Amino acid sequence: MMLYPEIPIPPRSEHLWRYTPWKRIHPTNVAEMPQSDAIKMALGTDSEMEGSEEIGRSFIHSISNVCKEIILSDESKELDLRCSGHICSGELKIKSSGDSSLIIRISGDSGWTGIRVLGDVSGQLSVALINDLSADCHLLRCEDWIVNRDSSLELSTLSTGGFLVKSDIRIKLDQNGAEVRGGIASNGHGSRHDDHHVEIDHKVGHTQSSLVMHAACNDSSHSVGTGLLSIRDGADKSDAGQVFRNLLLSEKARAEAIPELEVLADDVKAAHGAASAPIDSNQLHYLQSRGLSGDEASSLIVEGFLMDAFRDIKNQDVIASLRTRLLVHLECLING
Amino acid sequence: MGDEVLSIDDLYVSVEGTEIIKGLSLTINIGEIHAIMGRNGAGKSTLANVIMGHPSYEITSGSVKFKGTPLEEMEVFERARAGMFLSFQYPSSIPGVQVGTFLRKSVSAVRGDTAPSARDFRKELKSHMEALSMDRSFLSRYVNDGFSGGEKKRLEILQMLLLNPTLALLDETDSGLDIDALRVVSDGINSVAPNAGCLLITHYQRLLEHVKPDFVHVMIDGRIVKTGDATLAGKLEAKGYDWLEA
Repeated sequence: MMLYPEIPIPPRSEHLWRYTPWKRIHPTNVAEMPQSDAIKMALGTDSEMEGSEEIGRSFIHSISNVCKEIILSDESKELDLRCSGHICSGELKIKSSGDSSLIIRISGDSGWTGIRVLGDVSGQLSVALINDLSADCHLLRCEDWIVNRDSSLELSTLSTGGFLVKSDIRIKLDQNGAEVRGGIASNGHGSRHDDHHVEIDHKVGHTQSSLVMHAACNDSSHSVGTGLLSIRDGADKSDAGQVFRNLLLSEKARAEAIPELEVLADDVKAAHGAASAPIDSNQLHYLQSRGLSGDEASSLIVEGFLMDAFRDIKNQDVIASLRTRLLVHLECLING
Repeated sequence: MGDEVLSIDDLYVSVEGTEIIKGLSLTINIGEIHAIMGRNGAGKSTLANVIMGHPSYEITSGSVKFKGTPLEEMEVFERARAGMFLSFQYPSSIPGVQVGTFLRKSVSAVRGDTAPSARDFRKELKSHMEALSMDRSFLSRYVNDGFSGGEKKRLEILQMLLLNPTLALLDETDSGLDIDALRVVSDGINSVAPNAGCLLITHYQRLLEHVKPDFVHVMIDGRIVKTGDATLAGKLEAKGYDWLEA
């Protein structure tokens, strides 16, 4: 296996690196492997993770000196990841069975944070990742999930923190009956750059996936949502859908939404869509006609738009946590 | 009868350069129920929307006053806080916003200092929802998102009961309702009517069998061409509108 220094720098022509090239998300010079502090993880046992030939994963693996494993069996847990220091990183393995949930909150004021997650799902697992980093932090997040036979993964992301965020999430549906439901809500403010790339691989038939990404873009923020939905040859009876929606709240805000489909099987349902628009004037008028001022109405529409990214998430405890964090975040933005 | 809540004088309204309302005058007092009937495209919904301040509608001439205050001096939310309410023909859905949250925010905004405590609000809400035969599961659903036509209309009436307006504009609130729902919605309107001026916009007499209007107005091509009592609605049902154009 190649080590990080041997891996070629990916060109921007690659889908994954088009909007946030490697040299932009690397914390120093791309040739360097800087010293890193360990992310403080309040849960988990010490573990080890294999390297990777994907550049982001390999880099985090190379500089990290902490790897924890969390095993969930019919239980709900919350995990705080505290990030401090100039550069901070860590790896996390998650293995689940039964009906479980995990709420992960990343917070802290490190200059740069790298987190790599490896998940193996049996049964039903609902995971929420809440990015609550301080406003000037950079974040590289790489996740790989495998969903096993007749199992389902709910993967929710509330991305509100950090200045420059690059998320690379890959999910493999390896066995019949595997299902993933994903929801990503990104709130862009200031000059925030938030890039999510999600690959879902239907390796066999009778697998299902849905992904909804909603990005609210204010000020001069930039949201990127790219998806690659693969349905392999023979993966018949698969059902897959991806929707990317952007709410443009200022003239300077930018949003890219590029869902891509690669369907090699014949008998499948596959859909994708993308839309960017300002706030609907009829929604605004409706709320104002109920006594809400223009600002109050806009704020409620944004809150609803972001929460609506989680409409396919069934775990109500997870939804409640996401809603609470979102409300706190929006209130902090309003009150400075 | 007496206190004037709405006064419209020789009103002209355009939408994207097309004149829809062409010289309409109407006065509504507290305790009065007015019904406006007319063919599709006569300008009925335009009238409701312009009174509530929809940005797509432009008053080109004439005046509309609410309790003596010209409406052009009031923002939309100020109209609502002053006691105006429009039950929309096609209420907007607000995905991601739960009905319960929306109602609480709306009541707080409109009723201001007199808004009930959280506990009293829940009691009030429960009582109105029971009266409207609405299940509590409504509260956790997203506003009008995936609602049937009847559910949307019930939610509109629930809001009206909670906001307790002094001017209630009801734009085709009877459309899409089955017989039972029509009765429930009518009961809601009747409970607000004694302390408010009501303007019902409808195509059919069936709503007016449950909510007795004091005045029925016929609107054709942007004007009120005839005003009568409740019997006028029956005449329209039997004869249509052609006889009024002759």
